[in-house]
Amino acid sequence: MNISPNEAEEALDAIQKMTQKTRRSIASSGAHVSLIVTGVVWLIGFTCTQFLSGPIVAYIWIGISILGSALAGILNMRMSTRVRSPSAGATAKRIGLVWLLLAVYCLAAIAVAWPLDGKQLTTFIILFVMIGWMAMGLLLDFTPVWPGLIIIALVLVGYFLFPDYFYLWMGILGGGGMIALGLYIRYRW
Amino acid sequence: MAELNETIHQPVRLRIMAALVALEAGNEVDFSYLRDLLKVTDGNLGAHLRKLEEAGFIAVNKTFVDRKPRTYVAATPEGRQVFQEHVEALESILKSK
Repeated sequence: MNISPNEAEEALDAIQKMTQKTRRSIASSGAHVSLIVTGVVWLIGFTCTQFLSGPIVAYIWIGISILGSALAGILNMRMSTRVRSPSAGATAKRIGLVWLLLAVYCLAAIAVAWPLDGKQLTTFIILFVMIGWMAMGLLLDFTPVWPGLIIIALVLVGYFLFPDYFYLWMGILGGGGMIALGLYIRYRW
Repeated sequence: MAELNETIHQPVRLRIMAALVALEAGNEVDFSYLRDLLKVTDGNLGAHLRKLEEAGFIAVNKTFVDRKPRTYVAATPEGRQVFQEHVEALESILKSK
């Protein structure tokens, strides 16, 4: 079989594009679902926190967090059947253990720093979750890292520069930003 | 010296192999996911997969997930080897330009 150098170049280009597309697709497969669902939870939760007061805010957060976690879990489980890996069980255990340790570390850090106000507590939790999310991305090629960095930057800007509007900031820019990023990854990436 | 492989060189099959080799060894991908990734029809993908399976470059595994039939596809070690040689052959043609 003989082909011209131009044909060889076209074939190599097609291989490179397909390889890149496959790796990106697998790496971001669950990311857009988590981003969109978490974004909606943040948008509703933080906007309510900004404008409402009393125990109703806690009930709203608990309700939407449970609904959001269940929805993200179901959607991610359905998507996880697209690629089957013999090492998936062991990887899932490692991921679970890392998140458990991070949650314990987050609780310990909050206990040491207590008393905290609502904004400080929110900032702490988001920073820990985002660090865990980015660590997963770096270690397992599981999700892209850059959305985590953007969210951390948004949290810190809101916390230090706009403390009076922190929850609204987090709802619209943090939650809305996550939804926009999720849609971008799903349809454009 | 590495040689070109006629079965793999066909454009759709080349992209199928590129996608499957991009997965970690041992991983397999769902038929419909591969179809969406390649933007081809069910029939077109099925025909090309048969050719690759006959050549021994891929393994097709039909199974049930949640009581629904699913078809999973993976590159065989031989398929990975032949694809790698094909890529090396393409690179050497390009270098001789």
